[in-house]
Amino acid sequence: MATVVDKSKADIDAPIAGEAWGQRNRHVLLLLPGVVWMLLFLVIPLLMMVYVSFWTQSTFAISPELTLKSWVTFFSSDTYFGALLTTLRIWLIVLALTFLIGYPVALFIGLFVENKTLQTILLVTCVIPFWTSFLIRVLAWRPMLGRQGAINLMLQNFGVIDEPIEMLLFTDVSVIIGMVQIYVVFMVGPIAFMLARIDNAIIEAARDLGASSWTIFRKIIFPLSLPGVVVGAIFVSVMVLGEFATSAALSGRKVNLLGNIIVTQVGSLKWAFAAVIGVILTVVMGLVITVLLRIVNIRREL
Amino acid sequence: MLEIVDFWKSFDGKPAIAGLSLDVRDNEYLTLLGPSGSGKSMLLRLIAGIERPDRGDIRLDGVSLLDQPTHARGIGFVLQNFALFPHMSVADNVAYGLRHRQIEPVTDESEVVKRVAAMLALVGLDGLEERMVGQISGGQRQRVALARTLVTEPKICLLDEPLGALDANLRARMTVELRQIRKALGVTFVHVTGNENEALAMGDRLVVLDQGKALQVDRPDVVYAKPAAEAVARFLNAFNLLNGRTEGERFVTGEISVALPENCSGADHYAIRYDQIAVHERGAAPAGRGDIEARYVTSEYLGSKFIYFFELAGGKMIEVEQHLSQHEPVRHRRGATYQLSWDLADVLLFDAEGRAIEALASSPARRAV
Repeated sequence: MATVVDKSKADIDAPIAGEAWGQRNRHVLLLLPGVVWMLLFLVIPLLMMVYVSFWTQSTFAISPELTLKSWVTFFSSDTYFGALLTTLRIWLIVLALTFLIGYPVALFIGLFVENKTLQTILLVTCVIPFWTSFLIRVLAWRPMLGRQGAINLMLQNFGVIDEPIEMLLFTDVSVIIGMVQIYVVFMVGPIAFMLARIDNAIIEAARDLGASSWTIFRKIIFPLSLPGVVVGAIFVSVMVLGEFATSAALSGRKVNLLGNIIVTQVGSLKWAFAAVIGVILTVVMGLVITVLLRIVNIRREL
Repeated sequence: MLEIVDFWKSFDGKPAIAGLSLDVRDNEYLTLLGPSGSGKSMLLRLIAGIERPDRGDIRLDGVSLLDQPTHARGIGFVLQNFALFPHMSVADNVAYGLRHRQIEPVTDESEVVKRVAAMLALVGLDGLEERMVGQISGGQRQRVALARTLVTEPKICLLDEPLGALDANLRARMTVELRQIRKALGVTFVHVTGNENEALAMGDRLVVLDQGKALQVDRPDVVYAKPAAEAVARFLNAFNLLNGRTEGERFVTGEISVALPENCSGADHYAIRYDQIAVHERGAAPAGRGDIEARYVTSEYLGSKFIYFFELAGGKMIEVEQHLSQHEPVRHRRGATYQLSWDLADVLLFDAEGRAIEALASSPARRAV
């Protein structure tokens, strides 16, 4: 008897239950396209890259027999391991400079400009250089920084220097200048956004409690803008760590970043070695982002 | 203690404060009532020193504060919407002024902790020290804002619509607590509000502001019983106001006229309080009282009282308030005409400038003196 009742009850419930499943799990359906996309084009390629980095590479061919040879080559070669150190050094310098140049600009736009329209106009102005192609922006530095470039000519004509400064182009300096110019706006945007969200009344309250402007900046404004700094730093870090075009165009092949090595290795069909560097870059970026996210709890702030 | 002498301040070309003088006494609760745009928030900003008056002086115990910046004035300001520091805990918020002020910061951390704990206990927040301000309720945030200001021991504490962001229940509770906290510390509170009930309930003295001027400064019960100006009566939201003119023994408003108290002239506004009107069947009003015919429209039940709405011949609405502790609820016939009456001694009259006409409505005995 009991079984009969259960069965009929199950029959009645079935269509309703199916509909309810769709209702309850709508978020699963919404997530599905994104998850499939990430699996196909991010997770699987990443695993594939790790796998390929252990393949055996001969001069003209690559075969799927697993070996550590490419990894050993990377860490035992001064050129390649040096490229890792150069990448890290240039990344840190560019990150510091984009912060030092970008923060005051963001402070001005986000805090001192009270008119929202003007704020938007100023932020858009920061993005205007992006209306020209990346390559043009980078190559435009050559006539600026060269031996006979605009900067050297100007300094000479004003009598500041007698001989042209040689170190401006085709050195670390030119690569750093180029990268800072391109990426500083990614620091300005998020910080200006966070600063603009600070309620003016909070600053008034701090002032009324007797704090000086410097204390207010140190204890209120900077901590509240920190999520913006972290987001900006993540943007800049991810882009600088994977950079190859700026250094190729402005270093005259003297500064080799990990990105440049991947380009040459892929160019000469050395897939396994390129994969090794790819894995190392991915790990470095992962570490950098983890450390940055430790500084501030983004989820709580946004 | 604090004297404001002839303050003037224009904002966008319009006068926000126009010749305002005010005396704030030691150890008192002063409420400022005014509609939005009356200049009440501006007045607080001028007292705090966030804004500078175009003209006038402000003196604390005889010393001018005009050239002193905000933080040197010894005046605390609890801002509207609290303005707590969102990235700090309750204790750090309250400690901010002690730790970081330019003048005599408290460097001994144990002293800071002790004073913060004492203040939090006073405002009833002990045990919440380590919570972030985003994790506490609206009423608790209000207390944190208050504690943050009071812990710096200001001589005067300014509160800009402190109860505005709270729901009705909390509002009633905080009303009592604010008074108790103030008494316990002996600090002068200057409390700005747009709510007439709050203004009447809170203050030792009440200032009614309109268009940048103080219309009346007095005890709340005096202001309520004898508004000094037509605008004050309007803001108190407790008076039926008729506009018109005096013709002989009658006050004429539109097509209708009502009786005036004896020996009155020059009245342009006629006011009678909601709760001083009686309702009668047509023709049943006793003689010797002011009376008027009006059509019953509707009623509103407010728990302890009923408000009845009547319409005069010209379309003007008259409110009659009856407390259920003194009257049985009455059912009137919708659309029927009734007679409303009131004691002529309760009538308030104002002249063309809105000033109260003094002594005219008083008893014959007083006039004989």
